[in-house]
Amino acid sequence: MSAPSEGTLRAVTTFVAAFGIGVAAYIAIAEAGGGAPACLAGGGGCETVAESQYADLAGINVAVIGIAGYVLLLVTALLRGDGARMGGFAISLAGFGFSVYLTYLELFVIEAICQWCVISAILMTVLFGLNALRMLRYTGIEP
Amino acid sequence: MSAKKDREKRREERQQRQSEAAENARRERLIKLASAAAFLAIVAVAVAVVISQSQTSGGDTNLENIDEVETDLANIPQHRLTLGLSTAKVKLVEFGDLQCPICREFAVNVLPELIENKVRTGEARLEFRNYPILGPESVTAAPAAIAAGEQNRGWDFIELFYKNQGTENTGYVSEEFLTSIAKGAKVPDIPRWNRDREGARAKAEVKHTTAEAEQLGFGGTPSFAVEGPGTKGLEPLGTPGSLGEFEEAIDDAA
Repeated sequence: MSAPSEGTLRAVTTFVAAFGIGVAAYIAIAEAGGGAPACLAGGGGCETVAESQYADLAGINVAVIGIAGYVLLLVTALLRGDGARMGGFAISLAGFGFSVYLTYLELFVIEAICQWCVISAILMTVLFGLNALRMLRYTGIEP
Repeated sequence: MSAKKDREKRREERQQRQSEAAENARRERLIKLASAAAFLAIVAVAVAVVISQSQTSGGDTNLENIDEVETDLANIPQHRLTLGLSTAKVKLVEFGDLQCPICREFAVNVLPELIENKVRTGEARLEFRNYPILGPESVTAAPAAIAAGEQNRGWDFIELFYKNQGTENTGYVSEEFLTSIAKGAKVPDIPRWNRDREGARAKAEVKHTTAEAEQLGFGGTPSFAVEGPGTKGLEPLGTPGSLGEFEEAIDDAA
């Protein structure tokens, strides 16, 4: 099976990263107002997660860190070359690893699930896949 | 003709070797770069996890004095945040902040004997009302006590919290810490406790008791008020300094 062209990978990455910025921005804005994102299926999961002490990392809201991550991934998707391929891979791997950790916290420590965080974790996983494929397939081949 | 074919064949072979060499070089470069990128990513995640985990330290989740609290409260009825028989004539109300060190002093030094002398005997019942004034972590802790009270383990929760209290607003009132207190207090249904403490009712109750404390003129915690046949409604006591003063106030109210 032939891999999709780098142009296709970059276009899909751009779209997913932009969607991620939207999701993370919604969480950040909802929490900045002292509340929590509205849970799609009701229940208090989002509120519990938003009010837990894990909602901030070194004083910075985790959703804001998420926005920064998605913006960087968007930038690497728009740029050409090995630097962008490696940057995208490294950032998406870090984002994926951090999402795994946050999902672990939700399931086993906070014991509450926020669907918005789950959506973000899925997007980050997709971005990791796209960036890994781009890096493995196209590094050193095309400018 | 044959010489031309040979040349072409050699050229093709050379080109193939070159392209293989280029592919090998690319692979090597890829492995190096990818390893470096993966290393950086893993370090970044590890740093984030360490920071995230260190934020939660400072609270003691290896709880102390569980047995002591159980002994102090053994066989005394609890209903919501009231400790003692509902038939007791006098009601002593503590307006407290779970983070407050002076409240802790009271809980450790005065309360056990007060419970023994006045509550266990059925003379007085003790009611805890949240007055969270020391900051955000007090506000987080208050509904957790109310939620424990919903399952009639409120006083176990309050006493255990006081006895494992950390330094104000240092991040110790974490989900982990609160859950360990609830479990230590033997709150039977932890998911229900979680729902209750996040619910609007508990938060409304905190708001109500805070307004009540302010109305009574209290500016700090713990502040006490007493109600009985000998008082005109709920009368503010302020902060009595000794067991004797508490007992006298209860006797006067009876």
